[in-house]
Amino acid sequence: MDNTDLSTLGRKEVLEKSLTRYRKERDWFQMFLDALSMMPELSEEDILQQKMLTILLESKQTVLDCAENNKPFIAGYFCNAPEVFHAMDLPWYMLMETPFLAASAPYLADDIKGTEEIGLGSDLCTAIRLPIYYIETGQMPIPSAVLGLIYPCDGAPMLHQVMMHNKAWKDVPVYAADPPYTSDERAIDYFADELKRMAEFLQKHTGHSLDMKRLAQVCEDGNKTYSKWQEYNELRRAVPCPHGWSIGGPQAFAVSQCFVAGDPKCTDWFEQLVKCAEIRVNAGEGIPGVKERIRYFWFDIMPYGWIFELMPWLEEEWGAILTMDMFGNYPYTLIDTSSEEKIWKGLAKRNLIDAPMIRQARGTAENFSNDIRRIVKDYKIDCVIWPGHMGHKDGSAAGGIMRQTCRELDVPFLQIGLDLFDRAYTNPDEVKDKISKFFTSMGLG
Amino acid sequence: METKLKSKALDEFIQVASTIANPEIQKWKDNGGKIMGYFCSAMPSELITAAGMLPFRLRATGSTGTELSDSYFSSINCTFPRHAFNMALKGDFDFIDGLVIFNSCDHIRRVYDHWIRQLDTPFVKILSLPKKSGAQQVEWFRSELAILRENMETQFGVKITDDKLKEAIKIHNESRRLLRELYELRKSDNPPITGAQTMAVTVASTAMPPERYNQLLKELLDDVKRAEGNTDYRARLMILGGELDNPEFLKVIEDLGALVVTDSVCFGSRLLWKDVDESIDDPLTALAQYQVNERPSCARMFTEYEKRAEYVHSMLSDFKADGAIFARLTFCEVWGFEQYSMINDFKEWDIPLLCIDHEYTLSGVGQLRTRVQAFLETMGK
Repeated sequence: MDNTDLSTLGRKEVLEKSLTRYRKERDWFQMFLDALSMMPELSEEDILQQKMLTILLESKQTVLDCAENNKPFIAGYFCNAPEVFHAMDLPWYMLMETPFLAASAPYLADDIKGTEEIGLGSDLCTAIRLPIYYIETGQMPIPSAVLGLIYPCDGAPMLHQVMMHNKAWKDVPVYAADPPYTSDERAIDYFADELKRMAEFLQKHTGHSLDMKRLAQVCEDGNKTYSKWQEYNELRRAVPCPHGWSIGGPQAFAVSQCFVAGDPKCTDWFEQLVKCAEIRVNAGEGIPGVKERIRYFWFDIMPYGWIFELMPWLEEEWGAILTMDMFGNYPYTLIDTSSEEKIWKGLAKRNLIDAPMIRQARGTAENFSNDIRRIVKDYKIDCVIWPGHMGHKDGSAAGGIMRQTCRELDVPFLQIGLDLFDRAYTNPDEVKDKISKFFTSMGLG
Repeated sequence: METKLKSKALDEFIQVASTIANPEIQKWKDNGGKIMGYFCSAMPSELITAAGMLPFRLRATGSTGTELSDSYFSSINCTFPRHAFNMALKGDFDFIDGLVIFNSCDHIRRVYDHWIRQLDTPFVKILSLPKKSGAQQVEWFRSELAILRENMETQFGVKITDDKLKEAIKIHNESRRLLRELYELRKSDNPPITGAQTMAVTVASTAMPPERYNQLLKELLDDVKRAEGNTDYRARLMILGGELDNPEFLKVIEDLGALVVTDSVCFGSRLLWKDVDESIDDPLTALAQYQVNERPSCARMFTEYEKRAEYVHSMLSDFKADGAIFARLTFCEVWGFEQYSMINDFKEWDIPLLCIDHEYTLSGVGQLRTRVQAFLETMGK
């Protein structure tokens, strides 16, 4: 556990400490980009990764530059309408992202222990516990303003509660749009008003202004990105699937919503993604070196804390291909930019109803079962896996409904029960054993 | 702790709190009355009373297992909804004619999803309760209540007029006022009523006709005022947390010599510390305002922590509590993170705090006793 007494540090030391992991992350991206640039010839997929790394590097570098030079930047979420931040030229990072950073991976076990040592119960979601720990131990950049997230789960708002109580963060202004539980027109109108108030809040606390013409342009650029994403997902329906867990799915989500939403750079990346997929689909090829035997739908986040211990194994051992996952799913509609009201409503719909995890977990359980029904049919899915991250308690409470839905579709369903970060919660071998027994007993692979 | 209070009214409250289908429920049904069940303190019972129905807050009192509900929930879900839904599947709530649920927490909101699929209760609604306070949120919740009112009118063939609502608000405010009077008596050096007894009284307020409740509560207040106070306690404690409806839980603590003098729990003071504003012309606005902005908030309400901490601190001070016990249902994220914040505040206030994670049913009595005993000893009591 990090026991540094922050009150003994000077302002500069506090800043340095808060940026350590972000600098490591930036340097890591830079190293990979450098390595790619040294290659004599780049494949189409190398180019895809190069474009992605450039977006990531720029995002991290911009935030670091703001933090180091006292320029406004914010912390927020992918479902806070990031198109608005982009239109305001406001750099941002995701408040909950620190445990997901590659730079955090070597420290996760210690960090998790640290969360317990500061008094957070081991039954509480690690995706919330860890950011709290990073805030309390001074390991997250302190932004000019925070856009909180009070959905889709109980833990999310509590992160901000602790943050607002922390001595170093308590003066940072916070706004959180209130999400209705319903998804009708009234709910969209209410949430659109919440987003408008969010924009007013950002203008007030960052000095960056919002030009609605610029927002319209960003949304139109975003529409181009989303159109490409839809095109790409149609290619993933092919048998064999052109890409598995490592390309496409969650990356598509990250590029469109997590760094600069509504930027031509994102569309450019998606065009390259489509190109890569098309090459394989046209050739009738799947993932090189893998014979596709099982097409599975991973209905949650991948276990990023120990992802390399599980996801490649599924392909290598079982020929099991992650054909679709919660974050790669495409339920979006394009944003109508013909009037300001329509833009806000479009953003409200996307961020309240379409964005991954929010879409499923915020409201009633139909949101889980309807996605299963559509995805199983559209992507020729052989089985549905609900990994059951220990923090996703609403999802686990909907397990019976997901199972029933799968029964009706005559597709096997597995609920595992794991932790995205803590490999000791259900260790990788146990997870593999559960999956192997499931595949075997269902006659898959 | 040996209680010195003798009261027929209290005996009746204890009976109501220790059962589900209590005699008042039976009597109501026998007279052809309808009953609306609900989960969560956010339900304005006034709306149900104004419809001429009996508001009944669902508990899982007496539940012994989750064998039927386990296939719907998982082992990382709170045991309260698992026990409550198990009882529902067994038919223990068949006496309700309708049910209102809120998106209170990740566990309870899924009860709605399972209920509508597995049971044939004719009227089941889920209401969207804001997660922060503010004028826009009051307006939103008012519209949710307006929709509920309209749905209830259609379903049950009743008219819930503004006048009826205002009358219902008066009746429920009377309950709150009387309960606050009861709490006031606990501030004395020798409180005449224990924490367990008080919890039976507050729980009963959610399971019997409000007029009858108020009548009994007045009788109880007379008895309590005449009763000899408790003098032989080791420490005065406050109970904090979310869902806690079992007076026996407090009795275990009080049997060790502690006296629970106040609380901030869902079935306790947060139900009654403030009144619905009767001066607001539109009763639905008054109810929405009360639930979203006014009453001591649930930990799920974003931005309200400072107010909650202030509420707890003033309770500790006003009731002269020597320490507090934070009782949290295992797997509850809302109260789990709240607990973390409170731990830090209690350190600053220099007030002893014991945190206990427990199951809904009183299964770990031995462990609870040991921990409370040790806590009292560390307090030097």
